[in-house]
Amino acid sequence: MVSASDSRPIPAGVLEAAGDGGFSPIKVLGIGIPLVYSLTFFAAPLVFLVVLGFWLVEDFQVVPAFSLENYLDIAQHMFAKSNYALAIAQSLWVSLSTAFFAVLLCYPMVLAIVYVAPRSRHRLLLMLAVAPFWSSYVLRLFSWQILLANKGIINSALAWAGFENLQINLIYTQTATRIGLIHYLAPILIVVLYVTVANIDRELIQAARDLGATRWQAFRRVILPMSRAGLLVSASFAAIVSFGDVLAGSLLGGGVGNSVLGSVPLFSTMIMTEYASSTNLPRTSALAMILVLVMVLMLAGGAALAERGKVDAG
Amino acid sequence: MNAVSDIAAPPQVDLELRGIAKNFGDFVALEHVDLSIERGEFVAIMGPSGCGKTTLLRIVAGLESMSSGQLLLRGQDISALPVHKRSTRLVWQNFALFPHLNVRQNIAFGLTLGRHDKAAVKAKVDEIAELVQLGQFLDRRVSQLSGGQKQRVAIARALVTEPEILLLDEPLSALDAHLRIRMQSEMKRLQQRLGLSFLYVTHNQSEAFSMADRVVVMNKGRIEQFGSPEEIYTRPKTHFVAEFVGSNNIFDGKVVDVRDGLIRVQCADAIISAASGERPPGKGSTVSLVVQADKVRSHPTGVAAENSLRAVLSGREFTGSQVIYYLETSSGGEVKMVAQEPFSQTERAAINMAMQLYWSPADTVVLRPGIVPGVENMPGRRSYVALGT
Repeated sequence: MVSASDSRPIPAGVLEAAGDGGFSPIKVLGIGIPLVYSLTFFAAPLVFLVVLGFWLVEDFQVVPAFSLENYLDIAQHMFAKSNYALAIAQSLWVSLSTAFFAVLLCYPMVLAIVYVAPRSRHRLLLMLAVAPFWSSYVLRLFSWQILLANKGIINSALAWAGFENLQINLIYTQTATRIGLIHYLAPILIVVLYVTVANIDRELIQAARDLGATRWQAFRRVILPMSRAGLLVSASFAAIVSFGDVLAGSLLGGGVGNSVLGSVPLFSTMIMTEYASSTNLPRTSALAMILVLVMVLMLAGGAALAERGKVDAG
Repeated sequence: MNAVSDIAAPPQVDLELRGIAKNFGDFVALEHVDLSIERGEFVAIMGPSGCGKTTLLRIVAGLESMSSGQLLLRGQDISALPVHKRSTRLVWQNFALFPHLNVRQNIAFGLTLGRHDKAAVKAKVDEIAELVQLGQFLDRRVSQLSGGQKQRVAIARALVTEPEILLLDEPLSALDAHLRIRMQSEMKRLQQRLGLSFLYVTHNQSEAFSMADRVVVMNKGRIEQFGSPEEIYTRPKTHFVAEFVGSNNIFDGKVVDVRDGLIRVQCADAIISAASGERPPGKGSTVSLVVQADKVRSHPTGVAAENSLRAVLSGREFTGSQVIYYLETSSGGEVKMVAQEPFSQTERAAINMAMQLYWSPADTVVLRPGIVPGVENMPGRRSYVALGT
């Protein structure tokens, strides 16, 4: 996906504006607007968050300072009292597994759209796949509550069908959190993956078949490796969004969800709780900074994997 | 004393196409195509775009289904065989190299699909890479190669699997003109050295003529003519071939006389004579006469000759080694003449100058309607000049 933009033709006017090295109005506008936008709405709030993390609270008043006290305090509680480390681990576990299952669900759907459906139906199928995106996220989570509740639609249906002993406890588990997140992420992942898969030259697949590859081998040896970048981009996107999400965890996961790690809240839920009690905003900022840092590491990890794939290809 | 060689072994047939037809809905892409390719033969399929040549190649490869017909590869019916089980290999117009694999992995692709011995694969890839002069590029990425190198990889990738016939779909059209000519002779040498049958699709006449042992001319899903390049060039069998191949003048008319091995045809501007051949057309029948532009000669002054035609010079094209003259007859038809000794004539020839054209009846090819498919053969057409090559 990233490499696709390399060969894009540049309009003549833009090339001239960029070529003379001076400050033409087009150049100033073209670079200036996105720069101002990202400085105002991304860099500035982030810097504010960073700075706030070093401030202190004295006599219930936030006072400017340059102190590492908040971070030291959080570090001391990593494995004690609040157990931040466990919360981070829980969040990582939920977000990474969510990303895995989201991609596992969306990739076959995209393959079906691209390779099974006729080309004239692609747009319609994409629209249908993306349709849930136009409804509110919170509304979708409430719908899932109704579906997954202990006396909800799924369990009622099971009882009605005669499986009265087979009642699944879904609501307020990490599984419910994952279901909500996957439903939220799927439309975006499908679009990202569709762009990747639809851009694979069909002649390459036919060439593989002509060289003796079965359908499965053509998938394994051509389609899958050529989807690698798209799969990694969508997986890291899903992981990052899931890591920062609060709503699915609180509405479906019930704040504290059971998992292999035990009954541990998600890190994002913990930050929300701290923020809501609002006794120490600088300390909450410091926690949020840790969240951002983990996200950046996830992004870097995804990018590193994608890069390694390139080197492997030789 | 040559008793043994006198009993020539019957030529072995590599590929046989029997009545191949293909419809896309109402559109007839191929209409009953019969073709047989002998072992080690280089056959070029030539035709305008949309004539069905690529569809035919894709049917042989198994990438396209056929509506009816039968395909035999070395005597074995492969009609129902899926693409990956056929021992045909296709070389693609845009190379279709795998961008995520390097040159070595690309060439080895077909060898690594089943059980394989890594050392044997490596040896085979090395050998074929040497053959197509890619030895030092094996560890390169595909994107680092030039067009000619990419095409060599594509050919090596196909050849390494030891196909029974190689199918090539306009493999040189993505290369620049200079490289194309070099690759032509390279490809022909490779084909002769391997003794492998090549079925080569192209819309380029010089490519087909310079490489192929036999050429198929296709139009509108049918084979118009199948023969050696010389045969197709000098003895076109149909109106379409006469128009498509070389640069021919075509005159339509009615036979007025058949005598002394010559037929005389009344055309719009003159009576034109042609060698009648074995089965001359009857008196009064409609025929088309074909004369190659380079067989036409001119005299500025009237000299009585067998086929002579008065025309006025309307245009001139200097191409370096030759000059192409466009002349208009009194009935408004156009005649094309190619002169090989340009400088002696260019000085004398001026636009609007009247000229006397003549050519030998032996160089005049007779086409009979009825054996001519397609709408190209419209009666009443006075004369026609094929577009340049």
